[in-house]
Amino acid sequence: MLMQFLASGFMLGSVYGLVALGFAAIYKATRVFNFAQGMLMATGAYLAVTGSVVLGLPLVGTIAFVVVAAGTLGVVIQWLLIRPLAGRPLLAMVMITIALSIILRALIVIIFGGGAQTLRLGLPEGSFVLGSVRISAIHATAAGVSWLCMALFMVFFRFSKAGLLMRATADSHEAAVLSGVNVNRINATAWALGTILAAIGGVFLGQLQVASVELENIGLLALPAVVIGGLQSIPGAIIGGLLVGLIEQLSSGYISPKARDIFVYVPLLIILLVRPWGLFGERELGRV
Amino acid sequence: MTTLRSSVLRLLCWAIGIGFVLYVPFVLNTRTVFGYRVGNMVLLNLGLAQVDLMLISIIGAVSLNFLTGCAGLISVGHAAFFAVGAMAAAAAGQQLGLPFAATLIAATIAGAIAGVIAGLPSLRVRGLYFVLSTLALHFIVVFCFAEYQYAFHDVAGVTMGDATIMGFELDNNVKWYFFLLPFVVLVCVMLQSTLGLREGRAVLAMRDNELAAAASGIDVRMLRLKVFAFSSAIASLAGALQAYYFTSVSAEIYTLDTAIQFIAMIIVGGMGSIRGGIAGAVVWLLLPSVLVGTTVELKVLPGGVAQFLVGHQPQMVNLTFGVLVAVLLITAPGGLAGLARSFAARGSRQGSGV
Amino acid sequence: MSGVASAEAVLEVQGVFAAYAAKATALSDVSLTIPAGGMVALLGSNGAGKTTLIKAISGLLPLHHGTLVSGSVRIAGTNITGLRADRIVRLGLGQVPEGRLVFKHLTVEENLQVGAAVVPRAVGRERIAAVYDLFPRLAERRRQQAGLMSGGEQQMLALGRALASAPRILLIDELSLGLAPIIVKAIYAQLRAVRAAFGTAMLVVEQNAKLALEICDTAYVLERGVIVMSGSAAEVAASDRIRESYLGSSGGAL
Ligand SMILES: Nc1ncnc2c1ncn2[C@@H]1O[C@H](COP(=O)(O)OP(=O)(O)OP(=O)(O)O)[C@@H](O)[C@H]1O
Ligand SMILES: [Mg+2]
Repeated sequence: MLMQFLASGFMLGSVYGLVALGFAAIYKATRVFNFAQGMLMATGAYLAVTGSVVLGLPLVGTIAFVVVAAGTLGVVIQWLLIRPLAGRPLLAMVMITIALSIILRALIVIIFGGGAQTLRLGLPEGSFVLGSVRISAIHATAAGVSWLCMALFMVFFRFSKAGLLMRATADSHEAAVLSGVNVNRINATAWALGTILAAIGGVFLGQLQVASVELENIGLLALPAVVIGGLQSIPGAIIGGLLVGLIEQLSSGYISPKARDIFVYVPLLIILLVRPWGLFGERELGRV
Repeated sequence: MTTLRSSVLRLLCWAIGIGFVLYVPFVLNTRTVFGYRVGNMVLLNLGLAQVDLMLISIIGAVSLNFLTGCAGLISVGHAAFFAVGAMAAAAAGQQLGLPFAATLIAATIAGAIAGVIAGLPSLRVRGLYFVLSTLALHFIVVFCFAEYQYAFHDVAGVTMGDATIMGFELDNNVKWYFFLLPFVVLVCVMLQSTLGLREGRAVLAMRDNELAAAASGIDVRMLRLKVFAFSSAIASLAGALQAYYFTSVSAEIYTLDTAIQFIAMIIVGGMGSIRGGIAGAVVWLLLPSVLVGTTVELKVLPGGVAQFLVGHQPQMVNLTFGVLVAVLLITAPGGLAGLARSFAARGSRQGSGV
Repeated sequence: MSGVASAEAVLEVQGVFAAYAAKATALSDVSLTIPAGGMVALLGSNGAGKTTLIKAISGLLPLHHGTLVSGSVRIAGTNITGLRADRIVRLGLGQVPEGRLVFKHLTVEENLQVGAAVVPRAVGRERIAAVYDLFPRLAERRRQQAGLMSGGEQQMLALGRALASAPRILLIDELSLGLAPIIVKAIYAQLRAVRAAFGTAMLVVEQNAKLALEICDTAYVLERGVIVMSGSAAEVAASDRIRESYLGSSGGAL
């Protein structure tokens, strides 16, 4: 039983890690703590519904549609909501992302109705047995694609020129500006990437469950994931996501599904109190 | 001479305002003004129940504004304090059999204690990390509420006893209105006068510059805890009142969205002032009616659009509220109260200039 | 104020007024010209407005709640007044800001690469190689995280990053901060070599007036936001005012 929970926790956690990574990318580059990340994830599921059901696209077409639409959405968000608030206090930044999630939720319900939508993308179905563990093909695909996306992002972040400029901007806004970096463009890129990662996570969660605005609550788990891992640490976000996935599966498996929140948020509180920079982040004085 | 006239004018305004506030419930209840029937549209489709809920929201919003706007502590845990209040009142009323008034006091005390506990992270962390600690607090409290509900009540919800005060039962909206109104006035006056005290000024100083405040001898850690306890005690009181008003509450109603709505209210109304909290709650009350009721009744929109609006009323309201918050954040950081102030300032400047 | 944009001036500042939110006038009517390949010293006591002038030129004032109220700034004839700071950099302005501003979490090499990001790859590579020649110490530490280097090394890195962008004009604000005097002398000597090799013009803000006047061709003196004196380095060094307030009594032995 334990192995089964660990396996499904790992696979679910991989998707959470993906969403959390998107969150961390936005936070690191733009210092915006995106409370709308959960809603962006739900939006991803609905983009997939739009692509596959409304537009009738095949799998590849749907994926391309989700990526392009989510990227565009990220750029629009940065341009319309985030950029005008540059230099404003924390509350304004937090609130604008909350307003964003209110708006997105309302738009989704207006367009698609409040009920859940089933999402069938034609991904491999069925399941296979690995040792003592039964693994569904969709879970395995979700985990595999998540790791692929995370790897791609890491390569981009570490080795590409845009990734370098993004890290530079995250490091020091002013130094980046006076090195000739177009910070606005970097920020827009970060938002586009963060939104795309969230949307891909949403596509899989929508597939594993159903596409509904309630996915937001699952997506919101990216917040504790990132903080537990360490706000400043990109690998920390992924590990935090994995941890949250494992906690969720173990607590709902051994105790009750309702217990998930308590087992995620109590550790969050403890981390905040004893190690605010997270398990893997490095201590930063003055920022806390 | 002019001061006399202006003070008479002010007195008149107050009198009219008080008369209005006292008369409104009867108008909304009977749908008549001095015996004449008035249309729904004139009354903005408002019901007295909505107004009563708004009064409760005002208490929540001004207490949050004290915490966030005045003390600079951002909290997404305000719905949790409502839950604490409801839980404490239910436990005091149902398990201990205390009378209504005593349960309200119990709720307030429980809120203060919960506030101190919830404020403890503020001793360690600031800013974003503190926001997150209130987020964690929210989920933990809601979990506890659900456990309490399943242990002592039933899945449908926590049932509250009758709201009876000195043999007088609050069994309709008009009675509730006149019961809630003094609470609102009391809370607002109390917060306003607190801000005038030395301690209140210290709160503002702490928000503006913590280091400078600490350097001038203010114990900022203690002060933060006090502010948190004060604010959450009031919120818990509001939560208990709300629970009694609903007669039964369940864990599901204390969502993060509720907490966020309170933040949205103070942003729309204006941060850091009592007026801002009230204004935000009023907008929150009026928005649905104005948005949907009036457009439909006035028939200014083609049938299809009106139908669409009616069909999607809650979403349209949320959409408008979200957009309103975003637009105000970007264009008017002071909220509606700030806008009103700058209009007034411009008006008086023009007046004196001519 | 000639009003004529001389063709060979790399940098031309004309009648600049600047203000901060908390300070009504930080610069008033400042004009200054740097010819191609010129090396100009900007002197002035603390709070005179030297850093403000540099920020006004490089478009960084808005980032510090300041504004360029009026006046114009041109680089090689192109009007850059009010342009975004990063665009100005791409037009050929390099800057070593006050207080060593490096990317602390990036390696030395990456810092230089960010600097070189505004020029074509080949040019960037060549410039980075030149920086390593100039500062062997940076070459030794190219894989080291910048934040873990000593203050002086970070200052070298900040200069190297600016040089990597192959600027036409380099603004240097208090290079000597935190550097050993002997190193400062060496770096200035190398800056002259950079000028000789690439024709880079420089505006040098320096507390060590003696040194600045030694290496620069011309000098401007700023006091309370106003240019109070300008001329060739020798002229300025010879003036009584400068000898008294900047060079000390022994300043005559320049
Ligand atoms: N961000 C700011 N807001 C308000 N006033 C400022 C700001 N930055 C500088 N000032 C003021 O502008 C004036 C000029 O400052 P500036 O930094 O340009 O001086 P400086 O010549 O570089 O001095 P130093 O030699 O000490 O570096 C000073 O009086 C300073 O107090
Ligand atoms: Mg300076």
